[in-house]
Amino acid sequence: MDERQEELAALNALHMLEGDEQRALDGACVSDKELRALNNELEQVALELARLITPVEPPADMKKRIRAKIRSRGGPGAFGVSRGVILGTAGWALAAGLAVASVWLWNERSKLIEQHASAVRAIAAAIPASSPAEEKKEARSLEDELKSIRADYEKKQAALNAEIESLRKRETEAQTRITQLTAETEALKKQDAEAQLQIAKLQSKVWEYRRSEMSIVWDGRRGQGVIMLEKMPLAEPGTDYQLWVVDPGKPDPVSAGVITVDDKGSAKTVFKTVVPVGESSAKFALSVENKGGVPKNKGPIVFIGP
Amino acid sequence: MSQPELNDEELLQRAGRRDMRAFEQLYDKLAPRLHGLLRQMLHDEREAEDVLQDSFVHLWDRAPAFDPARSKAFTWVVMIVRHKAIDRMRMLGRRNRLVESAALEHSALGGDSPDSADADLETSERAAAVREALRELPKDQRQLIEFAFLKGLTHHVIAESLNLPLGTVKTHIRRGLLRLRDLLKGGD
Repeated sequence: MDERQEELAALNALHMLEGDEQRALDGACVSDKELRALNNELEQVALELARLITPVEPPADMKKRIRAKIRSRGGPGAFGVSRGVILGTAGWALAAGLAVASVWLWNERSKLIEQHASAVRAIAAAIPASSPAEEKKEARSLEDELKSIRADYEKKQAALNAEIESLRKRETEAQTRITQLTAETEALKKQDAEAQLQIAKLQSKVWEYRRSEMSIVWDGRRGQGVIMLEKMPLAEPGTDYQLWVVDPGKPDPVSAGVITVDDKGSAKTVFKTVVPVGESSAKFALSVENKGGVPKNKGPIVFIGP
Repeated sequence: MSQPELNDEELLQRAGRRDMRAFEQLYDKLAPRLHGLLRQMLHDEREAEDVLQDSFVHLWDRAPAFDPARSKAFTWVVMIVRHKAIDRMRMLGRRNRLVESAALEHSALGGDSPDSADADLETSERAAAVREALRELPKDQRQLIEFAFLKGLTHHVIAESLNLPLGTVKTHIRRGLLRLRDLLKGGD
């Protein structure tokens, strides 16, 4: 510890420091135990000087004023916390705030009742020991004190009631808003679900299938779809049409099953891949394969796309 | 039933346990001296009363935190009151200037003899020890420490008000307080 630090500690003991010097000392005290001890020691010494102050009696009613002020404040800490909670934006926070405020209000009421009861007891206890004039004076003084506490309490209660009312209004508004947002969310979810569907209408580039049409509706998330075929030539004996889903993430097309075409060359059926495929955009292919289908595409592809 | 005679530390600890009667007893013992201090610092009766009231309300709130192992009740209370007074001075813009009515001759700590307000022996003995130690200091150091204690001003303002070099103010305060500490510890 150097002389400069001693000097700062001495000036601090008399509360003469401000700004940078105060911060410098506080900072040095954190790491220097000896300086911290000196700082405390000198402050205690300086405060002892107050013993030499010439006493001056405060006003007679000062003690009563202090007592009334202490009693009238009730539980400001609790209110401070509840207000912080109440001012949140969500509906549940508002409701919680209301509940805390109500509890605080109820406590205030209980305290007032208790204070009133104590005052009544104090008046009752004072009666036998005092003269009638003193009793009257004391009673009046206590009554005044009670009136003052009650006035303070009523003021706080009115302010709280107004705040609760305003919070209720905000809660209603918040709930309305939540309902609107929920509806909007549902609508968006629906739109999103629809957006997952892939619809494709394909034309074949193979001469024999030039008039044929293949339509696919594919739900990638569920891994299933619907295929519709029109104006298809009948499959040759010993062969079947087989549908494939071409997943960019897989090396080979994944089989979605054999598609049976009726006498009119039409087919409409739900299909599902034999193994799961990715949700990203898929391609579809229709090939002619051996009867009953094959695990891996071998035959000619008549449709592919989109 | 009257409360048994308790010292300041016991009263403050009881106040910390929400004993209003102990708190009022503490008020009776300390308020006059604190009021005297506030009048000297603030030079305004209304402000002094207001700060005294605020200080005691604050004291009631802070009483549970009082630790007798760390400080005496008296110095702890004086510290709270002085901080409140300095805050008020800042608010009134008086921290950085000397109020015209505050002259050096009014800034001596009072009483050449023990005060009758010190009802208990311990308090009165401690006051006598402080008085005696203060007397031992060189006049320049003593006057400066008394002035600083009673005015609640920064060292810059004190140097300016008393027309003294800043270095002299700092040195006198440092030497004076260190000496005072040694004297109160019983050293020479």
